[in-house]
Parts: sequence; C-alpha cells; structure tokens
Amino acid sequence: MALRQIRAAEPIKGFLFKPRERVAKFPERLEPEPVKTPTLLFGVKGCDLRGILVHKQMFLAGEFADPFFAERLKNTALVGADCPAPQPSCFCNLLGLNPYVTEEVDISLTVLDDGWLIEVLSARGRDLIAGLKDGFQPAGSDLIQRREAQRATAVKILKKQNPQDWNPYLPKAIEERTKDTEFWQDGAEDCVECFGCLLTCPTCFCYLLYDAGNAERFERARVWDFCYIPMYARVGGGANPRPGFLQRFINRFHCKFMNFKNQHGVYACSGCGRCFTTCMGRIDIRKILGAL
Amino acid sequence: MSNPYQPIPAKILDVIEETPNIRTFVLKPEQEIPFLAGQFVELTIPGFGEAPFTPSSSHFEREILEMTIMRVGRATGALFTKKSGDLLGIRGPYGKPYPLKEFEGRDIYIVGGGVGLAPLRALFLTLIHDLNKYGRIFLRYGARTPKDIVYKKQLQEWGKIKGVDIDLSVDSATEPWERKVGVVTCLMDEIPCDVKRSIAVVCGPPIMMKFVTKRLLEAGFPGSSIYLSMEMNMSCGLGQCGHCRLGPYFTCKDGPVLTWEQIKDIEEPFL
Repeated sequence: MALRQIRAAEPIKGFLFKPRERVAKFPERLEPEPVKTPTLLFGVKGCDLRGILVHKQMFLAGEFADPFFAERLKNTALVGADCPAPQPSCFCNLLGLNPYVTEEVDISLTVLDDGWLIEVLSARGRDLIAGLKDGFQPAGSDLIQRREAQRATAVKILKKQNPQDWNPYLPKAIEERTKDTEFWQDGAEDCVECFGCLLTCPTCFCYLLYDAGNAERFERARVWDFCYIPMYARVGGGANPRPGFLQRFINRFHCKFMNFKNQHGVYACSGCGRCFTTCMGRIDIRKILGAL
Repeated sequence: MSNPYQPIPAKILDVIEETPNIRTFVLKPEQEIPFLAGQFVELTIPGFGEAPFTPSSSHFEREILEMTIMRVGRATGALFTKKSGDLLGIRGPYGKPYPLKEFEGRDIYIVGGGVGLAPLRALFLTLIHDLNKYGRIFLRYGARTPKDIVYKKQLQEWGKIKGVDIDLSVDSATEPWERKVGVVTCLMDEIPCDVKRSIAVVCGPPIMMKFVTKRLLEAGFPGSSIYLSMEMNMSCGLGQCGHCRLGPYFTCKDGPVLTWEQIKDIEEPFL
C-alpha cells in the first residue's frame, strides 16, 4: 500500500472477509482448510484496524465463530504504517483513532525522508524482521522525536479539519431523532442508491448466503450484502420492514452509530472517509452526525 | 472450529397435509438437532436455498423433527414438491428458547393464529410433558376457515387433557362450525387466569400479533410476560449477517421470541 498516503481506495477487509467465499457443500461436507501460505498486510493504516475490530466482534466474539475468518486472521501478519498527510475526507480523530498505529499490529512503520523507522509490537513481528536484522539499526532518540513530530503534525491536520467532536451521547441523539424524517431526508436527498458507500466501507459486515446447484448437489457461497438493497430485509411472505429508502438510510446510522456502539462499545466506523469519497452525491456523514 | 454454514442432511420420513397450503414435514436428520422449544433451525431445500423455521415437535423428541410449514414463496414452493424419502438440510438450533424455568408454577395463556400454531405446538408439547410443573394451560387458536385449521385431530385430543383448556375460532365459517366465528381476539373477551402472574405466548400473522398483544396488555398482562414470535429475515441464524435486525436486536440471536417489554419502543415491530 502507498506508504506516504492515506489508506488505500479499497479497505483491507476483503483479505480477511472475502467478497465471495464458498462456505458449505451438500450432501458432502465442506470443512474449513488450514491456511497454507500466511498473508502479510503491509502499510495498514489506523483506520483499517477499526474494520478488523468490528469484524472480530461480529465473526469471533459471539456464540458462533466463523472458522474461515478466524483461520485467515490467525495467519495474517499486520505491518501498520503512519498516515503522515491526512486528506480532507479523513476524520479518524472523531472516532478516537490516530493517524498512526501503536497497537494491534505486529510491526509499526514510520516513513521518514531518509529511511524507515520500525517498531516491533509482537512476537510475530520480531520473527518477521529476524532475517532482516542487518539492514536495521537501533533508532536513536532523535529519530523517535522526528517520528513523534510527524505524527503530531498529522494529528493537528485532522483536528483542524474536524475540530468539533461528535455529541458524546450520539447513540441517544440518533434514537431521539429517528422519527424526524425531515432531518434524515436532508442527509439522504443526494443519494442515488449506488451502494458505493457500503461497498467500500471497511466495517460493513452484512453477508448473504446463497446456494448454487440442484436438488442433488449444491455449493453454498457467502457474499457481501448491503442493507440499502430494497429486498435486503424482506421475509418469505413478502413483508418488508424497510421498504422505503429513507428507512434503510436511517437503519445504516442505527447500525453503525447506535446499536454497535451500545453493544460493543465502539462505533462501527473508522473515519476513513471512503463513503464520502465514493459518493456521487458527496454525502458527508460527518455533517449529519455533527448536527446531532 | 466447526463450520456453522454446513447443513446436516435430513431425510423426509413423512409429509402430512394439514390444510390446502400447510404441510407438516417429518424429518430425520443424520445428527441430532438438540433444540429447545422456541429455538429455530435453518432448513435447506437443496438447490433452492435456506429459510428459517421453528420445529413444531416436542423438544423431548430429538431424533425426529417435525416442521409445519405454509407455502408462501419461492423456497416453500420448492419444499412443497418434496416427498417422503427426499433429502433436505438442517443447521441449528439457533436463538433463545422459551425460559421455561420462569414459566413454572404459572398459568400459560397461548394464542395462535393460522400456521403460527406450529412453533407453539413445540412449546405446548413440552409443557404437557411436565404438566405438574406448570399451572393451567390455555390455548386459543384462530384460523381463517375450518379448512385452515392445523392439527385438527390433535387439538381434539389435547382438549381432553386435565389442566388444558382449548378454544377455537374461525374468521368465517365456510362449513358447519360449532365454535366461535371471528378473529382470534373474540376468544379473549374473558381471560380466565390471574393475568398479573401468568405467561402469555403468541404466534401468528403480524396483524393478529398486534391486536392480540393490545388485548393482552388491556387485560393486564405485564409486557415482560408476553412472549411474541417475531418474523424477520433470519438468514444466517448466527447473529452475524445483519438481515434480521429489529431495533437493537438480531432476531436470530436475541429472539426469535421476544417479550413485548423488549420490543415496545420499536416503531412497527409487526410487519
């Protein structure tokens, strides 16, 4: 990934939670296979990690763990990288995140003008650089200071462009505004329902199971699904709890900024700004949430 | 780690025609499905996909599973082409069972509508298995016409059990009918139990659930004692895929039975 720039255009979630994956067979069984070749994700930004955290909550923390996700996560090493120059679309600071990585990765990397500064943060990280030791020297305090200065600059950029924290009682504020359709309509009116915001969201976790085959034999695939799709929540008899787009639009805020926060203690949002940069209508959720 | 998406093959042992569009499928899964009344399973119709159903048999009967299903759409349409000897798939059980410990010593007032009697039958059979543990059991059941009544013979037999009180209604009596005519709430003018400390359990079409709940609340049942089977798109059953979100709940994980107390603040909980 581009080390000196902000997060990649696509989130890293596809490496762990695949857009399409075969998960079952019939009548014979499909058992998850051990990962043969480990993966290294290099240059992971702080915002990317929020996506992993959300998916760990959804796929590993509950009663039923997803063995496919678990196996890949276990076999994926993460090298985090600082985000030296946040863009106007970035708002990770509003989510309590930093434009650099100090935990939840194996190695943290800072790109300076004249070289790389790395910090080993796990045993796996230590193993990763074991064979490369000759190329590295212990960092002196001057380098560490330069790193801290660079990080502080990035924090300052974010603070300047997103100076106002969200309402600390945002979940409650969203709940109370639920029936204020005018408020949500204002936010949703430029939406063309392309679903790009959900497709590029690093935290979105919805999936659809579908079977392909015939009455004798079939395979089951799990594919990413999107709550903006009109038929998303429809039940067998045809009833639909959210037939109108506005209901689905509000549901997205309920999911990410109310229920997930209430149930898991964090927002299901990384502040990466992909929903905004992808959006043809330039809908900026910062504005909507900032008004609550 | 086991694979939660993998269905277990289940052979159809029998198909019982309950009404013109409701059938009971008697299934023998290759492995036991250790469900408790109130929990549901994902039933695979090979080549067509999955849909959630609650078993209608007693949870004390583990080897054979019965499911009473109404034909409403694509998946159930495909299911209705299946015969004895055909293979289906099952995974589960999922969701929370009825908290039977809390039901002990109390009267249980069960209200069913149409095919909604199916999951209630699992509860009812479980209750009469240990009849001495509970107070009296009331079953109020409404169907569209006499033809649409499921478990006709069993309803007669259950009515003979001491401590069980059954009353039936039909929306319209298209053939000779000796009981009440009207929607199921017409059986609820008098509720012959101590509502403050009884349990109400409801399953049926959304409109029926709405009005039955209203009537139960008027009669004085506390919201926390009214158990409602919620119909949402429970696609994965695992509390992950997102489709069955109902307010703050994932119906598949937190339900499918929720109390009125849990859902009362949700706008239009009944679809």
